[in-house]
Amino acid sequence: MFSIVEHETLAPQVHRMSVKAPIIAQKCKPGQFVILIVDERGERVPFTVSGWDPEAGTVDFVYVEVGDTTRQLGAMEVGDSLAHFVGPLGLPAQIDHYGHVLTVVSGYGVSAIVPILKALKERDNRITTILQAPDPQTAFGREPLAAVSDRLILAAGTQGENAATSATLPIRELLAEHPRKSIDRVVLMCSICLMRVVSEMTRPYDIKTMVHLTPLMVDGTGMCGACRLTVSGANRFACVHGPEFDGHKVQGWDVLMARRCTYADDSLLQQGFQCRGCSQW
Amino acid sequence: MSESKKSPTSGENGEDTGKTQEPGQEKQAKRAKAKINLNRLEMPKQSPEVRRHNFDEVATGYTYEMAMEEARRCIQCKKRNCQAGCPVGIDIPDFIKQLQENDVEGASQVLKRKTSLPGICGRVCPQELQCEKACTLNKKGAPIAIGRLERYIADWERIEGTSSMPEIAPATGKKVAVVGTGPSGLTVAADLAVWGHQVTMFEALHVAGGVLMYGIPEFRLPKEVVQREVAYVKSLGVEIHLDTVIGINYSLDELLNGPYDAVYLATGAGLPMFLGVPGENLNMVYSANELLTRTNLMKGYLHPQYATPIKIGKRVAVIGGGNVAMDSARCSVRLGAREVNVIYRRTRAEMPARLEEVENAEEEGIHFHFLCAPIAFISDGRSNVAAMELIRMQLGEPDASGRRRPVPIPGSEYIMEIDTVAVSLGTSPNPLIASTTPDLETSRRGTVVVDELGKTSKARVWAGGDIVSGGATVISAMGEGRLAAVAMHRYLTE
Ligand SMILES: Cc1cc2nc3c(=O)[nH]c(=O)nc-3n(C[C@H](O)[C@H](O)[C@H](O)COP(=O)(O)OP(=O)(O)OC[C@H]3O[C@@H](n4cnc5c(N)ncnc54)[C@H](O)[C@@H]3O)c2cc1C
Ligand SMILES: Cc1cc2nc3c(=O)[nH]c(=O)nc-3n(C[C@H](O)[C@H](O)[C@H](O)COP(=O)(O)OP(=O)(O)OC[C@H]3O[C@@H](n4cnc5c(N)ncnc54)[C@H](O)[C@@H]3O)c2cc1C
Ligand code: FES
Repeated sequence: MFSIVEHETLAPQVHRMSVKAPIIAQKCKPGQFVILIVDERGERVPFTVSGWDPEAGTVDFVYVEVGDTTRQLGAMEVGDSLAHFVGPLGLPAQIDHYGHVLTVVSGYGVSAIVPILKALKERDNRITTILQAPDPQTAFGREPLAAVSDRLILAAGTQGENAATSATLPIRELLAEHPRKSIDRVVLMCSICLMRVVSEMTRPYDIKTMVHLTPLMVDGTGMCGACRLTVSGANRFACVHGPEFDGHKVQGWDVLMARRCTYADDSLLQQGFQCRGCSQW
Repeated sequence: MSESKKSPTSGENGEDTGKTQEPGQEKQAKRAKAKINLNRLEMPKQSPEVRRHNFDEVATGYTYEMAMEEARRCIQCKKRNCQAGCPVGIDIPDFIKQLQENDVEGASQVLKRKTSLPGICGRVCPQELQCEKACTLNKKGAPIAIGRLERYIADWERIEGTSSMPEIAPATGKKVAVVGTGPSGLTVAADLAVWGHQVTMFEALHVAGGVLMYGIPEFRLPKEVVQREVAYVKSLGVEIHLDTVIGINYSLDELLNGPYDAVYLATGAGLPMFLGVPGENLNMVYSANELLTRTNLMKGYLHPQYATPIKIGKRVAVIGGGNVAMDSARCSVRLGAREVNVIYRRTRAEMPARLEEVENAEEEGIHFHFLCAPIAFISDGRSNVAAMELIRMQLGEPDASGRRRPVPIPGSEYIMEIDTVAVSLGTSPNPLIASTTPDLETSRRGTVVVDELGKTSKARVWAGGDIVSGGATVISAMGEGRLAAVAMHRYLTE
């Protein structure tokens, strides 16, 4: 059993949970994820680590309530325990000195990207962050993000508006100045639609664009193939070869998006996830 | 199982049991030989119509009377061919002898001398190729139903709630890590624990048992049976750490540099293979592993009581002809598919699945399409699979496996409408441990290279089961475990 040592609400239906898991806390790297099971009848559900403390033996993640498991998590309290907690899974995000890194985040990505940006900062990168949120009031996690960014742009659209529009505006402006004010790398941890759109925007400029993909997963260790996708013509498993991939090499975005929603129905708590372009709705 | 009589000490037919009989045995055997009973007892099964709609066990097992009747057919011949045919060398004639004397508990003790997993082996071993093939009565086409008797004994013990324990040797002070809790790891753990070593097992998943839990379905191997046998291994003093991935939480070198004197690798062959044809990643194209894991490990068939869902359409195609394909097809039927088609590129004769399971599948209304293979999956325009294009095959020259190679017939392409696919082509070892252990020699197929006693290229590390074979059987995984355990014990006590 893995006990919950901290649990706070960051915004409506968005929470941060800190779990006692000393062995996992020893080995976490930015961009990796854990899989948890709430109780013995629970599903295996992945979450990106948003922080960890090897000394205290704790691992943090931020989650958005979307369905059964995240709703169950939302109702848990400090002192309660999770039945299972395994990780860190997946490859760490690539970290190096690139120069100017542009990053676009939304949802839990706002918090889950922080360790990656921290590591990029340690390698002397200049970081511009675009935070996409439905509206300024519900935008959470701004301070930790600002602390690891040289510049933070808030792109807040109104609810119901095509989610992709607002973040794309500042991106377009920044790209217009490239390469005079060069962007050397783009890292995306936002909705799959936005990652797809931004990957297409940067392709003509040939700026390396990393996407953090979250297909459905079952085991998370490379055993089931649920999380597979096509990258440069080859079959890749997001749980072992990812979750970070080169967005320009990802093929079959339509299929990727459709697979994400295999089990989605109207019980979805985040209506925004029923994106207009997706084939499953 | 309806019967669960305690083993009586006196026989039903009034004959005496026990040692006093020894002198008369010879004569008795001769008499038995004179009128050999060739009436091999079938095991009761749920009717196909009923079992199509549930995940309960298909074969319900012998009753006490049936087990005794079948056991009495054994002529106790001197040759012990059956035992030689068993990869872990179970003392088959001896446990049957105990049954003939109505001593089920004694029979269980004999079994436990050589196996910790009788309830599992009794159900899923290919006895027809092993002990029963070697049985003297097989010459007359009616081998003793050794597997069914083994299962009977294990079930009897489970229902009685007793458990005969072996004697555990004094502690040696040596520590062993076993990676992977499938049948191979469990066998090594049990053997080494009995011989006095302190054994810790590591398992990546949230339950122990390996393929026995995540692959083989409830209706062939109830999970309660597996967990009972896992609990037995634990009762020998073995510790199991779940949710622990070696190669991530600890590297192999960290185990060896830490408290462990030796390591046994039994991480199986879990990586699913795909066809590599267009459209294979469309929505509702599953790997067999995903379909089976959602269904069995996560109990998707009990959704929503269990949180993990499993979606199956109306017309399912299962690609492949092995046990995994049969299991995927039979799960699909039970999950409500209207029509299930098995697509296999050779003929029925070459199918690697056990004949018994093929027959079960046929009884359950599964359609078999031989000599054809998919060359593309076609979308419904919304990224869901709607059909597949197949090409017909003919058998050409034998290949390396000795089976005739399927050759496509040009121009024979045709379309089959389906809405769910389970790709079941086999698996290969997960590269995680090998890739984090540079000095562990592996083959081109990704299997770990070992000598005849399971020793790897790395000091103090042994390996066995599917990670070495690339995918075989429960009993061969156990057999390799047994050999390695003996070698490890020798190393540890030297
Ligand atoms: C590697 C990885 C890392 C992840 N990290 C995080 C994280 O740090 N924080 C977090 O909150 N979530 C994260 N997720 C997503 C999270 O695992 C899912 O949201 C999960 O489905 C929630 O489970 P649930 O039972 O609450 O909802 P479900 O019942 O699974 O959700 C209902 C349906 O919602 C749909 N859905 C869920 N999330 C999305 C989405 N983002 N976009 C579109 N549709 C969606 C799915 O189709 C699902 O069927 C991650 C996923 C992966 C693969
Ligand atoms: C669907 C299906 C049906 C089958 N039917 C039959 C049958 O009827 N009869 C028969 O004899 N055989 C059958 N087999 C084959 C048989 O199940 C296998 O040969 C056998 O289970 C192999 O045992 P193993 O101990 O080598 O590995 P596995 O049973 O595969 O166990 C390996 C374990 O190691 C764990 N693991 C993997 N990597 C790590 C890691 N890095 N760290 C920690 N743990 C790890 C895995 O999670 C798993 O639990 C079937 C197989 C399948 C898939
Ligand atoms: S989640 Fe099963 S292979 Fe990635």
